[in-house]
Amino acid sequence: MKRTVDVSVPLGPIHPCFKEPARVKCETKGEYVLSAEVELGYMKKGIERIMRGRPWQEVMFLAERVCGICSVIHNMVFIEALEQISAISVPERAALLRVIANELDRMQSHILANFSYCYTIEHETLGMYLLDVRERVMDELERITGARVTCSYIVPGGVRFDIRSEDVLHLRANLAAIEGEVTRYMRMFESGPLIGLRSKGVGILTREAALEAYAVGPTARASGMPDIDRRLRHPTYKTLGFTPVSRTEGDNYARIMVRFQEVLESIAIIRRCLDLLPVGPIRGGGIPGIGEIAYSGEAPRGELSYYIKTDAAGRVVDISIQTPSIMNIEACCHYMLKGVPSLADVSSTFVSADPCIACTER
Amino acid sequence: MSLPIIPYLQEIARLEWLHKFFFVRTAPLVTPSYSRGFPELTNKTCTHALFCMMACPAPGAIDVIKTPDGWEPRIHKGHCIRCGLCVEACPNGVLTSGRILESMFNDSTRLSFSFRIDVDTNLCMGCGNCAVACPVNKLIDTQMAYGGRASTDQLLLKVSDGKCHVLHAELCTGCKTCENHCPNEAIRVSRLLEAVQIAEVEP
Repeated sequence: MKRTVDVSVPLGPIHPCFKEPARVKCETKGEYVLSAEVELGYMKKGIERIMRGRPWQEVMFLAERVCGICSVIHNMVFIEALEQISAISVPERAALLRVIANELDRMQSHILANFSYCYTIEHETLGMYLLDVRERVMDELERITGARVTCSYIVPGGVRFDIRSEDVLHLRANLAAIEGEVTRYMRMFESGPLIGLRSKGVGILTREAALEAYAVGPTARASGMPDIDRRLRHPTYKTLGFTPVSRTEGDNYARIMVRFQEVLESIAIIRRCLDLLPVGPIRGGGIPGIGEIAYSGEAPRGELSYYIKTDAAGRVVDISIQTPSIMNIEACCHYMLKGVPSLADVSSTFVSADPCIACTER
Repeated sequence: MSLPIIPYLQEIARLEWLHKFFFVRTAPLVTPSYSRGFPELTNKTCTHALFCMMACPAPGAIDVIKTPDGWEPRIHKGHCIRCGLCVEACPNGVLTSGRILESMFNDSTRLSFSFRIDVDTNLCMGCGNCAVACPVNKLIDTQMAYGGRASTDQLLLKVSDGKCHVLHAELCTGCKTCENHCPNEAIRVSRLLEAVQIAEVEP
């Protein structure tokens, strides 16, 4: 007769499927996961300590380097917090250009997350297709801001570069191509039987569990919580009138599909911005002054909060950052990984919550 | 899930994919012209305004050094983060990187500077190192250059009655020499950067 032995199986910190190092320790019975634990701390940068005492024009670049994948939103939240402190207003054209850069960044981040998931369910072909689409998005980001990541596009009172008319044409053409491709890959996800076997009903996070774990971002939206989107409270996004995506299944499949749908949503937002783009200045000027504020924005992975205290010369006296991934990692190890049918699904479930370790450990 | 192979076959049999499979070639790796690379020199003459050094957020990434042909900015590539602020800050367009110079010309955008000197009166012991070290003071008053007493009140910094006074803050060039020479960290210079756009004048 076969005996079942309870063992603790560690995954990581170096794992071919993880983008960044993290250790997932699973208490298993056979292959059935009873409980899981996530160990962090393999890539601490101490970036908040480096930021303290520096002038804002240096911290602006450090803030972008908190995370390599979602750098634009870090720039945006930091600069908007400074603007709130010193009551700097932004011209309308600049506000819309910020949204365009931010949504392009969100698209590439979501596509990368989905690539990563495809890799863990061993569908590398689809993963490579997704990376191909991501390159189009990165090209657009580079065309507008001059850099693929760490764009440093947003400055207090505006943005650094204007978008040109030929860039608008290029962007519209590329958006149409990306939309076509992404819809095709979504169809593959919907109809692909093997993808369905690995994704549907695996790693379920119910709405109650998501509320308990304070899950944020696409992870929470896949469990039927559309109001979690911080963009609904952003003044520029409010005028664009978008509706957040949400699904109710709460499994791996729902999380991936929410990201795909958000890519399409982002494309719609960018198109609306391009339609609304008025002629006018892109910089309003303004020097950050003394003050203290806590400010949040919606990163690709969820709510990102900055607490900043500055002195009269615009130096950052105190700063603390809260990134979304820590919530989702908690939700992942306490709720999603419990009851996962096999060890192969542990890595895919962990990756489907899109943990960004660089953000989390800073 | 009756016949799982059919969607895959459909995927492979697309004309677009077959064309790609047989005919497509990898595009050559070229850096696009709009990519913001390391700043490069144009043929304009550097006037030693040092705004590139004032704007640079990365410590030790840019220096302006004297060569036999005149002043010249040098980029240290190991430190440079390719943000392009030095390109925007230069009043003479000595540096270029990607499309920054072009877009500054098209959108009439620029970075403007002002400097602010804060003296902490609790920490300041009135030693006068800052006033003697200040290169602006040295230019205005030659006596100061040799560590002597100040002969005029038209100085940037002056120590009198055992207190440091900032007399003409508008003369400051933001070099931070006073900050480096202060034994008590009582004086601090902050560079206030403002991203502005000059409205086009209607003819």
